[in-house]
Parts: sequence; structure tokens; C-alpha cells
Amino acid sequence: MIKNSKLQLFLSLIILLAVYKLSFFASDSYTLVLINDTLVIASIWILSLFIMGKIKEKNPAPLSLIVNIGILNAFAFFVITFSDALMSGVFERVDKQNLDPGIISTLVSLIYVLIFFVFLTYVLMSFRELFFYKQTKNMRIYFQTMLVFILLSCLSESVFSGTEFAYIRTTFFVVSIILIVVNSIRISWIAFINKKEKLSLLALSVIISALFIVNLVNSYADGVHGKLLVEFSPALNQFSILMLIYGAAYFSFLFFTTMFHIPTADVYDRKAQEVSSLQYFSKLITEVLDFDDLAETVTDITIKVSSADAAWILMIENGNNKTIAIKNAAYVDVDLINQYLFSSKKINNITDTVIYSIDDFVVRSGLSEKYGGILVSPLRTHNNVKGFLIASRKNELIFYEEDKNAIKTFSDYASVAIENSRLLNESIEKERLEKELDVAREIQKKILPSEVPVLDKLSVSSVFIPAFEVGGDYYDFFETGEDKFSFVIADVSGKGISAAFIMAEVKGIFQTLSRIIDSPKEILIKANQVLRETLSRNSFVSALYGSIDLKKEKLFLARAGHCPVLLVRNSKAIEFKPAGIGLGLSGNEFFARTLEEQEIDLLDKDTIILYTDGITESKNTELNDYGDKRLSEIAIENADKTADFIVKKIINDVTVFSSSHSQYDDITLVILKWKQKII
Amino acid sequence: MAEFKTAIKENGNVSIINLAGFLDAHTASSLESEFTKLIDSNRYRIVVDFKDLAYISSAGLGVFMAYIEKIRDNNGDIKLSGMSDKVFNIFDLLGFPLLYEIFKSEEEAVNKFKEINSSEK
Repeated sequence: MIKNSKLQLFLSLIILLAVYKLSFFASDSYTLVLINDTLVIASIWILSLFIMGKIKEKNPAPLSLIVNIGILNAFAFFVITFSDALMSGVFERVDKQNLDPGIISTLVSLIYVLIFFVFLTYVLMSFRELFFYKQTKNMRIYFQTMLVFILLSCLSESVFSGTEFAYIRTTFFVVSIILIVVNSIRISWIAFINKKEKLSLLALSVIISALFIVNLVNSYADGVHGKLLVEFSPALNQFSILMLIYGAAYFSFLFFTTMFHIPTADVYDRKAQEVSSLQYFSKLITEVLDFDDLAETVTDITIKVSSADAAWILMIENGNNKTIAIKNAAYVDVDLINQYLFSSKKINNITDTVIYSIDDFVVRSGLSEKYGGILVSPLRTHNNVKGFLIASRKNELIFYEEDKNAIKTFSDYASVAIENSRLLNESIEKERLEKELDVAREIQKKILPSEVPVLDKLSVSSVFIPAFEVGGDYYDFFETGEDKFSFVIADVSGKGISAAFIMAEVKGIFQTLSRIIDSPKEILIKANQVLRETLSRNSFVSALYGSIDLKKEKLFLARAGHCPVLLVRNSKAIEFKPAGIGLGLSGNEFFARTLEEQEIDLLDKDTIILYTDGITESKNTELNDYGDKRLSEIAIENADKTADFIVKKIINDVTVFSSSHSQYDDITLVILKWKQKII
Repeated sequence: MAEFKTAIKENGNVSIINLAGFLDAHTASSLESEFTKLIDSNRYRIVVDFKDLAYISSAGLGVFMAYIEKIRDNNGDIKLSGMSDKVFNIFDLLGFPLLYEIFKSEEEAVNKFKEINSSEK
């Protein structure tokens, strides 16, 4: 039936006590009194453990413990008060010593005493729970010492009472009271309850301490209650008195402590709110990645932790202002206040949280609500102001320093949140960019010739090394007639996918034009005409177009802003740099007027070198360019070798030169070797 | 790449943009915004000084092309000055000397504008 072993034990002890009481209804024998007291104390002990377990199970708030004590106390008050009237009839024989009071009286008094067992034990265990609640230091020893002395005091009551050792009894009693008082002062949990609870606690503590005092006085009074307890067990009586003193002391101290806490309760409440909000918010920052959600939370908490009536965030993005997360304010008012802050130059260069009040009458009269105090806190990342957290108070109220500090903390958090969301966007952007570059590289690969042409009088070799970002290099060969071979090398301005698309366009233009027009100059003029129309104003294409008449052994050359052609002949490098502006840079008339075409007679073993600035602008550790000098030197050195060999040699040299520096631009190298085909 | 900085100063009705550092595809936008600002405030006589510029890429060159038509339509011009040999070579290769007046120093470029000023009066 009863599963709890402590309760079983307690009930067994009570039955034992009842049997004992019925057998030895009264005795002067020390031994018998001691056995009686020991049984009583043991029962209380077991009951304490049981009640402690029950309290721990429920884990009640301090205030509900207090209320429970109050209810039990009130009940005890009525029991004591009416004990005279109700019980005197039953206990008329109590006064008379050595008389069997009878079974009914004994059982009734047992039940009466049991009520106090429960009441007193519950009070003690509640005090124990309150004592340890939110205790920061280890105070166990104080409480345990007190329990020991209470025990000693109870035991000594029966043992030493009326003897010459009575002073021992008194000493234990006094020490117990001192310890009770000492332990009653430790009320650390009061700081953790809110103002409303403190106010109700104030009222409760007065009533309960009064009840304890009344009960204490009543116990001492010459009434049935006192006699009955003493008769039942002197130790129980002593325990009852000590507990009532404890209660009176504790609740008196509680009253005063609470009273002193009332004036600061508001500040405590707000600080507690601030701390819990901060915890909540810092958790949120790491979990919520959507900036708009965070902004809402920031303004929400701003109102909670400060005395602000309204709050919003003003973001500055690319010079544009955007108001977000408005709380408790009309958009028109927010707009008006923002404008006011900007026009009165209050917001422009602030680096710290600042308190203002709207002192412009015109602005104030325009507001639908009477906003007075304004608090502006900059949201910063890496010293750049990204926006402002703005809070406002209504009804002529202004902000104080505490509001400033609280809001500043939150604006700092908000800054972190902005930075987080920015970093996230950046990584998304980076991923997107990488994908885009993959596409660009793929386009470029498809645009460039997959194999070099094979001709009788000309050996051709080429190398293309793409840069990570796709530099927009393009080259191509066209075998347009039986004895005609043309080539083009170009560099599109800009990088990435946009450069790749222009390359595709450029390839289309040259592929078409090379079939219908012979002259490099005419081809470039036509190309400029098309590109001038299609390219955006800030992009252009540098190109070099050459055409070789295989029969006449002549090279015709036109250059539109591209790197010059190097011709290695007789251990000398000759630079051919006919005048010409990059494609798309100028109107066609001007372009045509300034474009030159050169004609070169080709000699045996001539080496023609075409390249893009990716080669000459390759950089070493000291950021020096590879330059055209090194290029021609190495070309001269290897002039008698095959085109493939020279290409390898130059690329090798460029790679070694710029090995410590990452390749920034595409590298393109084309070498044409006239009549040196090794068969 | 490394940093890029611009600074604007005024000399009469001529605005001078000083460039420093590396002007490439990544930094070109900050020069673009300087040009936009000048054009928005109707200042069309612009000298770009390259004295402290270490490097310019093709995207950097594009910036000058983007605004020149609008500026010339408004009776203004962009004049370039103080280029190092390396920077000049890049401009030269593309044929920029045919499109822009390039001066040794900032003063010469400013004076050229002043001459036009006085001849207009």
C-alpha cells in the first residue's frame, strides 16, 4: 500500500510510540523518559527525511515554500488557540500525574501531537531548502551545527531538567537560538525574484512572522497545548519552541531584507532581464543566419532592456538608407526622426552611442506620438558604420546613462550579427563566383583552337595557360585560301564570365571576317565597328591580326592596341608595332584613321612571336615584370630550334621567373616558324 | 592584389584625382565612383594623376573610357599626368595617347585647362 520506506518506518515508529504511551502513560524514570524522547526524535528524523524527499521532488520556488509555511502556520494557530476549548474536557486528567488517561485520550493526544510533528518538520525542512537555495558558498556546516545543537537542546530538556546540570540545558538552548539567528540572516534567494513577488513576500513575511510569534507565546502560555506537548515528550516541546523561534526570526529578517530590496527591485528586474536577454540573444546570433530575423530581435530586446518606447534599425547600404525592424512606432514618425537626425547632422559622424532629445519644435509637432528622447547607437563592422540602432522615448522623457549602456551592448551584438550575415553572403557569393569561373574556363577552352594547323612552309606552335579568374585571352588560326594563312591574338578587357562572353563574340567576328576580307587592317576596322556597338563603354579588346601570303612569302600585320609582334631574324629581335587603338575604344572613323598596316617580307628561318601581356607582365617576388627584353633574349638564344622547342623554352623561363607569384592573367604564346619544317 | 586609393583635390574649376596603388578589375569600382561623383556635381575638367600608381590592368583602363564621352559632350576632358614608364607603356600599347592628352606633371595638365579657360574668356 505505502511504497515509501521512510513513511513506512515513520508509521511503524508512531505505532510503537502509541503502544509505548499506552503502556507507560506517565513516568518519572529517566530511562523511560529518554526512551520516549528517543522514539519521538527518531520519528521526527524519519519524517524530516520523508518531507525533504517530497520537497526535493517538487522543487518548489521559494515563494511557494513560504506560502505553504504560512498555511500550516495559520492552521497551527487555530489548533493551538482552540486547544483549550476543545481538548480541556478530554484532558482534564492530564494535570494529574501518574494516572492512566485512557486509550481514547492517549490516541487523541497522539493525533494532536502528530499534527505538530508534520507542521514543525515541514517548517524545518522548508528552512533547510530556503537556506541552500541559490547559496553560492558552501554553508552546509552552519546548518548542520545548528541541527546538532537543536538535537542536543531537545535531548537535554528531559535529561537535565530539574537537576544541578540545568545550565547545560540552558547553554544548548542559547547556542541553538544564536545559530538559528545566524542562519536566518542568509536569505540569498531574495535577489532572484522579481518586484511583484517581492511585494507579496513583504506582506506574507509580516503575517507569517506574526503567526510564529503568536504561536510561540501561546505555547508558553499556561494552556492545554503546552502541557500536552511537555507531557507527551519534553524534547518535542523544546523542538516546537525552537522551530517557532526559528520561524519568527527567519520571517522577521525576511521582512526587513525584502523591504530593503524593494527600492532597487526595478533595477534588479531590468538587469536580470538584460542578462537573460543577452544569453538568449548570443545564442540566437549563432543559430539564426537571417539578418532580418536578428534585426527584429535586436529592436525587440532593446525595448525590453531599456526604458525605450520604440526602436528601429537604420541600415546604410551603398549610401542608401533603409529602415528595418520598426517596433512600436509608426513608419511616418520613424521617417521624420531619421530625417531630423540626418538634417541636424546628429547621426553623420558618431562613433559611440549618443543620447539626444528632439529639440526642434517643427519636427516635434509633425510627429503623431510625442517622442522626446532619442538614443542612437552605431552598428559597426571593421570601423565602418553599417547602420544605426535607434530607440526613442515618448512623452518628453529622455534617456539615461544605464539605457545607453544597455543599448550599446545590444548594438555591439547586432554589429556582430551583421558581420556574420555579411560573411555568409560572401561565402555564398564566392561559391557562385567559382562556379561562374568554371563556366568561363569551359567557354574559353571551347573557343580556343584545339589543334595547331599543319602547313608546308610554316610550323606553328602555341601555348595557353589560363589564369584562375579567366583573363580573356583569345587566339585563332584561319586557313582561308590555298596560299593564305591568317592568325589573330586578342585580349578582352576584364575577367571572368563577362570576358568569356566577349571572347565568344570576338571569335565569331574574326571567323566571319577572315573569310570575306583579306586585309588585316580592314578586318580590324570592321571588328571595331561591330564591337563599338556591342561592347559596354568600359570594355575593349586588344587584338593583333596577321595574314601570311604563302606564295608571295609576305606577312601583313595590323595591331589594335595589342602587344607588338617580335620577329627574330639573324640573332636579332625586331619589334613590329604598327599604330592602332584597341577595339571598342573609339569611334570607327578615328579608329580607321589611326590604324596602320605593315607589310613584312618573310625570310627563311624567321621566327614570329605573338603573345599577350600575361607573359610580359608575369611578376617575380619583387613584383618586377618579366618584360619584353627577357622574352626577346630567350627567343634569340633559341632561334635555330623548332617552334615547339622555343615555346617550351619561353614558357619554362616565364614559369621559373614568376614561380613565387601567382599567375594573375592568362598567358598566351604563339610561335610561327617560317620554312623550317623538319621533315 | 594590393590596395588602391584615390584622393580628389580642386584647383579652380579643374578637379584632380590622385591615384595610388594597384588599379585592376577589383579596385576599378572605386575610381568609377569618383568619376560619377565629379560628373554628378558638374565638374567635367578632370586631371588624373598617376604619380603614385604602381599598376594598371585592362579593367582599370576601361574606367577612363566609360566616362570620356559624357565628359567631352559637356565641354570637359580627362587629362592624364605623371605616368611611370611602365604605366605609360600599357597606355601606349592600347593607343591611349591618340585618345587622351598625357602630360609629364599634374601642373602641366592643369595649366592646359587654364589656357582653355582664358581663351574662352
